[in-house]
Amino acid sequence: MSAELAEHVVDEALRAPRALNGRAPDVFRVGGWVPMREYAADEAVDFVIVGTGAGGGTLACRLAELGFSVVALDAGPFFRPLEDFASDETEQTKLYWLDHRIVDGENPITMGGKNSGKAVGGSTVHFAMVSLRFRPEWFRSRSLLGYGADWPLDWREMWDYYTQAERALSISGPLTYPWGPKRPRYPYRPHELNAAALVLAQGAEAQGYRWTATPLATVSAPRNRSPPCVYRGFCRFGCATNAKQSALTVWIPRAIKAGAEIRDLAMAGRIETDARGRVTGVHYHRAQRWQFQKARNVVVAGYAIETPRLLLASASARFPEGLANRSGLVGRYLMTQSNQAVFGRLQREVRWYKGPPSLTISEHWNYEDRKDFFGGYCWMAQGPLPIEWATIQTSSRGLWGADLRREMLDYNHQVGLKMVGEMLPDERNRVTLADEKDQYGLSVARITYSWGENDKHLIHHALDQMQDSLERAGVTHLFRQEDDTNHLAGTARMGFDAATSVVNADCRSWDIPNLWVCDGSVFPTTGGVNPSLTIQAIALRTADRIKELAARGELS
Amino acid sequence: MNEDTPVTALAGIALVALGVAAVAAAGRRRPPRAAAPRASQRRSVPAARRLNRAAGTLAACVLSDSAVEHYRGAFHNKTMLAPLASATLSLAASAHGHADARARAHRMRDGVYALAIATGLVGTAFHVYNIGKRPGRFSWQNFFYAAPVGAPAALSLSGILGVAAERVRDTAPGRAPKLLGLPAGRALAALTSLGLIGSVGEAGLLHLRGAYHNPVMWAPVSLPPVSAALLAATAVSPSPRLRRLTKGWLRLTAIVGGIGSAFHAYGVSRGMGGWANWRQNLLNGPPIPAPPSFTGLAMAGLAALELQEQAGHER
Amino acid sequence: MSAENRYPGYDVLAKREGLSWNDATRRTIDARLSLPRVPRFFTPAQWLTLQALCERIVPQPQDPDPVPLAAMLDARLLSGRTDGFRRAVLPQQDEAWRRGLAALEAEARTRYGGAFHELRAASQDELLRDLQAGRLSHEAWGGMPGNAFFAHRVLPDITSAFYAHPHAWNEMGFGGPASARGYVRMDFDRRDPWEAAEAAPGQERQALRDNHRVR
Repeated sequence: MSAELAEHVVDEALRAPRALNGRAPDVFRVGGWVPMREYAADEAVDFVIVGTGAGGGTLACRLAELGFSVVALDAGPFFRPLEDFASDETEQTKLYWLDHRIVDGENPITMGGKNSGKAVGGSTVHFAMVSLRFRPEWFRSRSLLGYGADWPLDWREMWDYYTQAERALSISGPLTYPWGPKRPRYPYRPHELNAAALVLAQGAEAQGYRWTATPLATVSAPRNRSPPCVYRGFCRFGCATNAKQSALTVWIPRAIKAGAEIRDLAMAGRIETDARGRVTGVHYHRAQRWQFQKARNVVVAGYAIETPRLLLASASARFPEGLANRSGLVGRYLMTQSNQAVFGRLQREVRWYKGPPSLTISEHWNYEDRKDFFGGYCWMAQGPLPIEWATIQTSSRGLWGADLRREMLDYNHQVGLKMVGEMLPDERNRVTLADEKDQYGLSVARITYSWGENDKHLIHHALDQMQDSLERAGVTHLFRQEDDTNHLAGTARMGFDAATSVVNADCRSWDIPNLWVCDGSVFPTTGGVNPSLTIQAIALRTADRIKELAARGELS
Repeated sequence: MNEDTPVTALAGIALVALGVAAVAAAGRRRPPRAAAPRASQRRSVPAARRLNRAAGTLAACVLSDSAVEHYRGAFHNKTMLAPLASATLSLAASAHGHADARARAHRMRDGVYALAIATGLVGTAFHVYNIGKRPGRFSWQNFFYAAPVGAPAALSLSGILGVAAERVRDTAPGRAPKLLGLPAGRALAALTSLGLIGSVGEAGLLHLRGAYHNPVMWAPVSLPPVSAALLAATAVSPSPRLRRLTKGWLRLTAIVGGIGSAFHAYGVSRGMGGWANWRQNLLNGPPIPAPPSFTGLAMAGLAALELQEQAGHER
Repeated sequence: MSAENRYPGYDVLAKREGLSWNDATRRTIDARLSLPRVPRFFTPAQWLTLQALCERIVPQPQDPDPVPLAAMLDARLLSGRTDGFRRAVLPQQDEAWRRGLAALEAEARTRYGGAFHELRAASQDELLRDLQAGRLSHEAWGGMPGNAFFAHRVLPDITSAFYAHPHAWNEMGFGGPASARGYVRMDFDRRDPWEAAEAAPGQERQALRDNHRVR
């Protein structure tokens, strides 16, 4: 079979839209379909949502369930995990945003699988399922902890929305969580720990730190049509069994059932505005032509690169600086999170490819304030697959040749700890439009990033801590991965006023009352934990707020 | 230890068990002609045989369950073969006892059952050690996923029921059967009640691990406790009315064991790949041979009630 | 097969028909294993340089059936699949590779007077070490930093091709494709019967037996 033919066979999801003609794929049934309502392009729907990930997928579901008419666009394909997902790192890069972007700055961000998905379900299709709550103080980082910015959200309100999100995703987590205020029991029990996870536990105990099984969005027991996790270890390359509770398996099916329409392979190019300065709909490219969907409201949920890109690209005579950008902050305050690691070797076999990569976690340094830097971080067990491991070896140690091949033979004895660290908002870190155009004729995003002094200080502290932990666990031949990041945030930050933020606490833009942003772009700070649960909690809250506003006649 | 070891071990155990049974059968001699046994003696034999069957049922559960679970543990410690051997012997002894109509204890059966009690105790010690040595020590995480703390007790329980069977069978003519100096029916009721509570605890723990995702998972933690309470009541203050009620609940409990296995099989099929992926789903899914331990205990409870009735009639 | 055979007799392809592989995986790996071994993106001259370069980055001197690294890279560039981003200091991957190979050739001719693929391995390695350290600055680079080309194109592209191949998975004892069937035994020093058995010194025959049973 030739390579081209094979590509055709495997990538059918990328060739032509699947969600059309009144039906959408039923991801739980091979070859199955569910009926899907469709809306006419020239009749304004209540909400057009651009992006169907942790923010857009959740919001589409809740708005539809609350009775609004919703069309959700996604540039990515509507995958059928049971049929489309191969156990192969290379093939599964099809889950990532592989369209052109430019990265620069002192510390250019590696885009792709660490922060950018392209699929119905967004980055949750490939995420590592780590589902953590913010430490309450982080919502008042500036007032309480002296750095970053305050969120215009109350942690107690968010606490309830976290519970809702955890229930919806049936998070599998420990019976008691060692840190933070009391939270309800996770819906499902934690997973069995693999050897890599046990090493984190041993190290943490030796350091006198608490550790726990990581709360994960993959089920440890059957749930509806999701079988329990089979511990295949390809989590970040797409869950082929549907044990993973992603937007694709949780929010999107509910959204469709409640009457939302999903349009896959639909790349939004421009948001249209009218003479009154309100948005009127979205131009998007689908099935080889540009189309337009009228809308009473537009929600941009493309995550921290595509959201500002679309807002900036929608500049008009009335809004020459881009939409929702009177503050000049669209695209600014981009944040990622540090993702450095320490790796080493054990005499015993570890075989870290079995199971979700991060089965244990320590949030010790998220809740310990006796430190000489701002922000927090956690660390987790790891389980890189072959190509990722080879990339770590070559990039961290510069290895190649026979040396590399020989080092790789120790694969089954490797073990490591990887951090998720808070990086501070800096307005010089930003997303702008470059001159180059992509395959749709749209300006390509330029992503400029440099680590600050506090970021470096935090990373240094974390690397020392992780190394200490591994040493105490008897791990030898240690080396550090000094350059890695994951997740994104900040480029349409929420705040208290129009001068210093892009959206308000309800994710509504200050400048244009019927334009919203509902994804990780709204984070004023990133915190020291993975963002997906917080994004979903914000989306749940936004849906409720929209319902309230509508009831009071305050919706456009 | 390579892949073949468990199979070879099991084959060896089966041969040994068959050998023991054969020897015991061959060694059976016709009792010397004597006066016809007293009524009490005759009636105690069926109860004893019922207890043999109860012990055998538990032994069968332990054999299959420990075989699967210890295989999952890769028999990384060779003593993990011990419960397979002991349970096989107990099963053989129970079959032998079930076929035995004599009103006399059999030394080999006694020995096998005593071995089961000891093996179960040693197993419990190993399991507790296994749990305690892991990071987190005696945490929910380890109670869920390390060696199941209550599982070896089922083997001891099987042994206790077997020893009880021998004592009941071995009643002297004209005397009522006794266990540990107490009337057999009431002592056995108390013992079985405790056994039921233990099984409820084990099922409850593992169903907690499964998040009670299916409402039927509440059955083994809600129905058997009633049986246990009723049995305990009969031990304290027996009455015909109470016995009738308890008998009904015990029969229900026995059925719970069977239905449990059916649901566990359904649970295995719900794993990814279903039965085709049996190599994973039989090991990671719910243990099919575990629920009938309730059946075995229910049988023991019914034997206890039978003994209580006999004692009542002979007053 | 590298000199050290840690997992003798282990072959992930033995599990192809079993429960560890699904249809999507079979299609993917079949396509990878049947790649044409002729250049379709690169010119014949670039192809020679590339093959020699691949043999230095991941040497396969004794492998009876070497992983066709150059062909895999050629196919990838032909398909147009990118990383999804370009570092500002580097051109697009097509241009980066074309220019990089040409510049490597130019460096070889300048320093040694011969084509890169005709040099001895030691000379090739020396050139590459200088490239990695940023010490090469022939005008053929056209301003593209050699060390960036090496770090962000040469190393990741070639090594990710090698470690995308079943041969690589075999030699490192990776479990390989795993759906519908995943793994049961996750503790230290445990393997499922369908995982690779590591040959402890003196235990090669046992590992070989175990690996031949992998299905």
